[in-house]
Formats: sequence, C-alpha cells, structure tokens
Amino acid sequence: MNLVIGGSYQGKTEYALHTFPEAKFFNQAHLFIKKRLIEGKVKEEILAEIMAATSEGQWVIIADEIGNGVVPMDANERNWRDIAGQILIELAKEAKEVHRVILGIGQRIK
Amino acid sequence: MITLVYGGSGSGKSAFAEDLVCKTDFPNRYYLATMRSFDEETKNRIARHRSLREGKNFITIECPTDIVNTIIERDSIVLLECMSNLVANEMFSGKEAKSFYQCADKIVEDVIALSKKTASLVIVSNNIFEDGISYDEGTKEYMRALGLINKRLAELSDEVYEVVVGIGIKI
Repeated sequence: MNLVIGGSYQGKTEYALHTFPEAKFFNQAHLFIKKRLIEGKVKEEILAEIMAATSEGQWVIIADEIGNGVVPMDANERNWRDIAGQILIELAKEAKEVHRVILGIGQRIK
Repeated sequence: MITLVYGGSGSGKSAFAEDLVCKTDFPNRYYLATMRSFDEETKNRIARHRSLREGKNFITIECPTDIVNTIIERDSIVLLECMSNLVANEMFSGKEAKSFYQCADKIVEDVIALSKKTASLVIVSNNIFEDGISYDEGTKEYMRALGLINKRLAELSDEVYEVVVGIGIKI
C-alpha cells in the first residue's frame, strides 16, 4: 500500500494516477474517517477497516492534510483532526511509499 | 544548538521531536510543557503526551509562561512543547492582551536566553496557517504572533524539520 497526502486542490489524484497507473485507489480517506467517527467507530476500528480494504493487490490511499489550521471551535471537528492525523501516521508507517503533493508537485518522503 | 520541529495538528511532530531528543546522549532531558490544563480535553491531551513520553527519561517542567525562568543544567537537552500554547499563554496572560510584535519579541528573547542555558534546544511549533479561513481580529493577532515567531525561530535554528504523517522533512 502507498499513501499520497497533501492539502485540498493540490493535484493529489492526478499525481497519484500518473505515479501509480496500475493501482487501485482509496480516495478521500480523511472523509472516510470522518464518516466512521460520526457512526461512532473508534480509531483502531477505522484503521483496521482501511488496512483490510487495501490489503489485496496494489492500493494507493489518498488523503487531505487537514491539520494545518487554527484549532476548530467544534469538539467533533477537533477530534476528527486528531484521529485522522493519528490514523494517517499509522498508515504511513505501513506504507511502502509516502508521497506528499503541493501545487501538483509530488515529493516522495518515504 | 536549536532545532525547530514544525507541523500541523496530528502530524506526529511531538513523537518525531521526542525521537530526535532520544537519539542524543545528553545526561539530562528536560521537557518544558506549555499547555495549561483547564478542562477534560486538555487533561486528556496532556495525559496522552505523558504516556507517549513514558520511559524516555524526560524530566517534565510545567512552564505555561516565562520559559526563561526554568532552572536547568548546562549539559542538557531541552524539548519545548509547544509554541502555540506558549504564545496563547503569553499573549493573553496579562491584564491586557499583548500586541503580536510585543509578544513575538518577548518569546524570541526568552528562547534565545533559554538556548544559552542549555547545550541543545528542540522547539515544537505549529502550522495553523493553511485552512484558508478568515478569522476574527483576536485570532488574526494570535496568528500574526505565531507566524512571526515561527519565522524568527527558523532563522535562529540550526535545523528545521517539517513533519508530515509522522515523517520529518528537513527544510
């Protein structure tokens, strides 16, 4: 499994399609995490679900960087930022490659 | 020596900074904790960070303001965590909120003085600048202070890392 991370509208998907033409894509992982948190799932369950979904064949997980802002007033938004960050760190540890995209330019950081 | 570790919320910057410290062999490891505990959430946050540090031989000093007053041995490595809380505490601690440049000047002076008291200083600071939201004037003033401090700290630092999904990128 490989991970592509970066801010919104930075050209992550296009970059991922070019860089990993043969892969299957798990896109918008940050929104998937948010949905599962709303459903009452905890970090470990969500992480396990993403890992299981991307275990067969070549997968690329794409996620937005959502931590680079002012602390949100809403407690659920704060929790989402924290948990999404922690899950992405675990996914990055498991990933073969991690690429970070800014301005459409990808940089392999692992 | 000053090292700046920069990253967003949940980026893994704390763990990365702790790893940097743990790779060194200074006789003393200090952890200057700037977060004030005032509710359940901050208590939990502090507890989580304490558990992450467990077994890493840190001496924790709670230091919400005036970091320069801490007493440390010369042959130490100090991890200051984190700048965003320190700025908030310094800015809003007096009777009147300090202006961003007063606050930035004070904190940068304190950091320089602190760095002279210790062999090595690692500072964790936050990227809060990339959500595109236009905040109220109070928040903007805080952002100006933290932005200016980050920039000055980067100039003062021997090494600067940006942490993304737990991976430190030297910049």
